[in-house]
Amino acid sequence: MNWLLKRLPAVRPARSALAGAATLWVLGFCLSVLLTSRVAAGEPATATTSGVSPGAGGASAAAQRLAGEIDAAIAASQRAAGIEPGAVVEDAGFARRVTLDLAGRIPTTAELQAFLDDPAPGKRRRLIERLLTTADYAFHQRNQLDLLLLARLRRDGAWRDYLLQASRERRPWDQLLREILLPEREQPDEAGAAAFLRHRAKDLDALTNDTSSLLFGINIACAKCHDHPLVVDWEQRHYFGMASFFKRTYTTRGGSVAERFEGDVRFTTIYGEEKDASFMFLSGARVEEPAVERSDAEWKQVRQQIKEAEKNDQADPPPLPAFSPRAQLVDLALEDPRRYLAKNVANRLWARLLGRGLVDPLDQMHSENPPSHPALLERLAEELVAHDYQLSHLVRAIMISDTYARSSRLADAEPPPPEAFAVALPRPLTPHQLALSLSLATRDPAALPGPAKPSDWEQQRAAWEQRAEGWARRFEIPSPRFQVPVEEAMLLSNGTEMQQDLLADRSDRLVGALQKQPSVPEQIDRAFRAILSRPAEPAERERLAAYLEARRDRPVAGLRQMVWALLTSAEFRFNH
Amino acid sequence: MHRQRTDLGSPPATVSRRQLLGAAAVGSTVAAADMNRLSLFSQSGLAGEIARGDKSVILLWLAGGASQLETWDPKPGRSTGGPFAKIQTSVPGIEISELLPKMSQRLNETAIIRSLNTKIADHGGGYALMDTGRRSEPGVEFPHLGAIIAHELAQRESQVPDHIEMYTSTEGRRKGAAGFLGARYNPMFLTDSMMPDNIQRLEAISDADHADRASLQQFLSQRFSRDVPHPAVDSHNAAYGRVRGLMASDYLFDVDREPQSMRDHYGPTQFGQQCLVARRLVEAGVPFVKVARAWWDSHGQNFETHRELCADLDHVMAALLDDLKQRGLLDKTLVVTMGEFGRTPKINGSLGRDHFASAWSCTLSGCGIRGGSVYGKTDEDGQTVIEGETGAGDLFATIFAALGIDHTKEYMLGSRPIPIADFDSFPIREILA
Repeated sequence: MNWLLKRLPAVRPARSALAGAATLWVLGFCLSVLLTSRVAAGEPATATTSGVSPGAGGASAAAQRLAGEIDAAIAASQRAAGIEPGAVVEDAGFARRVTLDLAGRIPTTAELQAFLDDPAPGKRRRLIERLLTTADYAFHQRNQLDLLLLARLRRDGAWRDYLLQASRERRPWDQLLREILLPEREQPDEAGAAAFLRHRAKDLDALTNDTSSLLFGINIACAKCHDHPLVVDWEQRHYFGMASFFKRTYTTRGGSVAERFEGDVRFTTIYGEEKDASFMFLSGARVEEPAVERSDAEWKQVRQQIKEAEKNDQADPPPLPAFSPRAQLVDLALEDPRRYLAKNVANRLWARLLGRGLVDPLDQMHSENPPSHPALLERLAEELVAHDYQLSHLVRAIMISDTYARSSRLADAEPPPPEAFAVALPRPLTPHQLALSLSLATRDPAALPGPAKPSDWEQQRAAWEQRAEGWARRFEIPSPRFQVPVEEAMLLSNGTEMQQDLLADRSDRLVGALQKQPSVPEQIDRAFRAILSRPAEPAERERLAAYLEARRDRPVAGLRQMVWALLTSAEFRFNH
Repeated sequence: MHRQRTDLGSPPATVSRRQLLGAAAVGSTVAAADMNRLSLFSQSGLAGEIARGDKSVILLWLAGGASQLETWDPKPGRSTGGPFAKIQTSVPGIEISELLPKMSQRLNETAIIRSLNTKIADHGGGYALMDTGRRSEPGVEFPHLGAIIAHELAQRESQVPDHIEMYTSTEGRRKGAAGFLGARYNPMFLTDSMMPDNIQRLEAISDADHADRASLQQFLSQRFSRDVPHPAVDSHNAAYGRVRGLMASDYLFDVDREPQSMRDHYGPTQFGQQCLVARRLVEAGVPFVKVARAWWDSHGQNFETHRELCADLDHVMAALLDDLKQRGLLDKTLVVTMGEFGRTPKINGSLGRDHFASAWSCTLSGCGIRGGSVYGKTDEDGQTVIEGETGAGDLFATIFAALGIDHTKEYMLGSRPIPIADFDSFPIREILA
């Protein structure tokens, strides 16, 4: 029961007399969750015996049940709308999709082949389970968390290292919430965890709105200047209530995050009325700051220490106040975790895997923008909390559902509305998915491992990540209105890196390996499998054979051009 | 007033230069390889037809913040005035700093706004405000001016670049972004080189193979997008569809194609040469070009700094306006000259002026502008606006109005309307033609 022991310290710190009651409540609640989740999981021993994430076997029974609920909810809505779900994606397409979603890269030729050759039933489930336990999963999860929480703002190596470690340990979501919102208390020796706050600390609006949007699914920026014009849920007092939790946050000269002992938010209504904001969460729940007697000398000393820490990177760590507004925020968020915290992350995971949130846009969770499948979203949130906030539980359940396994191919049909989830939606690769996939696809396929990985695969994967960085920085981050910029097309068309590295005529590269193939059809087929993770179709084979034939006088150039055209095709650029 | 955008799916009502260039660029690799046909267009019978079409903006960006007192709103003789005199311009009653003698003789095409009060006086915040026309808001990525103009005035599948930004210096380099309009409208960003990155073919592949390879890519890629129709997938194919056309427009960035006399006209500075490129670009139908000249941030030695930088600005801006006018392009090219803010009237201990956003100036020249006009007024020391207070949103509304773009037009971000010029902003009719 490692995970249980690790779970407890996260709720330990009692920060003030008033916070005590809430903490006790949360503690009691969590204990009851632990008990119920063990019962629900059925096979509590798996976590300790397998030494991997909780319940590779046991949790999967629960995941199977949840997958059934997902499919039932989606099928019911499709029936009600008179929509036929699309076909199920074929094996090769499934392998590519799942590998991108769990390993953050395309499958190697050997991985793909092993999957296609596996005659035993249940191989899709096994592939998912295998990928959930590989080193790749933590790297991909790290990249995804970085994208969600910080990457649009800043690249921070220590933060990425911290996220990688957290992902390796499968730290639960509530614990991550604590660590990134209370780094000075939960991770005092870890520079990385503080990055979420540190890079926003000078901007109260960014702290307020980013926390609210990214962690709770609610963009309340509109309520800053006036009560939200379209959404009755959000008034100015909500915005400034959330801002109150961050008002005292500052960074020391040494780069750590801390809180002052004082500082309140005042705001002006559109009627010109001045108001004091209270420490109020989105739910409307508030906390009062306990009155503390401090002498003038004590105040002076505290302020002096903080001032010193802000100025001098050699200063002692500043004192931490007994009343921490951010700790209060975390406690409030965890008091009713399903309502915002779990629902938000469940919705974001759903969108990551299915191309669109049950609530869309992702940061507009409010009464005027109901989910497409409200009960399903409630269930996902409930399951996340009941399963110790393990994101992999939801990931697994979604990925083994039929809903996830729809083909993206429409043939000539009209596209069904995206919220019907009747066909898979194409999803642009993230910068890291694309960069890693470009690197992998252009290596000699025979030199890349199959499903059984060498013992140093984790180090190898780390090296792949390292090499991918330069490329990843130049690719567009997926967003709701994602467009491929022409700079990307120019870079891949005319950039020297493409020509001299990815398309190099070397034995360790695909272009070199293809030259050793005995025939043109085999060259074509091998290139398709390495790059698009599928065999070529007859029309493609014919076109490419003619293309290569026309370049018989310059065969290497022909192969390079074929590889380039496959790498830059839309099919490669998207997860579909 | 609202500009009709050509539906890409139907035949265009009028032939635009962009379309002509585009058709030539994609239609034939031979034509694409030799695309220096600008002079052909401007001299052919088509020129008049084409000239009615497209409008462009050149933004001369004074990075770091130029002093209004040493440019458009001098206060000689006051304690804030500094050492330079003011001079009479070609427009009776309008006086500007003696540091801009050439511009003083060319004010007939230019309107001066002397009453900007934009409030934000840090570089990052001021830049964001003046380049998006509104205050930043967490959670919303507002498009920058160039992206809005490209979105409003360019063909989606344009074969020429439509949003270019050039910087002369590492200081103040900030890359504009298309924000919620989507990366299609991001700028092509030129810094160290006069030529955009990756616009030229590598030696390793012949032009014929480069073109064939593109057709092969298109064949494969379109098989996919037929099966999986989606706007994001389409954007991929659209981006690759523009590559060959953009490559064919590389000559636009090559000032060596201009006669030496024209290069001399703009002068030997990088700013001058980049403005010459800007003229070549708008002549070819590029809707937005920003040329940034740095670094005006004169916290110390303000007067030396401005003596040097104003000379460059004066010469190049005058050369650009002359050239545009002589080519008949000024009627459809709006030249905007501004930075992120102005500078304090108070002269500090280092003979510098600090950041100042409450009473500063900018100019608009050419397309849609009533030349020889001045809008707004500051007090006699230049400390406050006393007439015609203008915000960033009003300036944007004025820019849009000058170009014939409805400034109340809205983008919908989910259920939230976002007007292209901020809420409650109005064009300055007094300086519009």
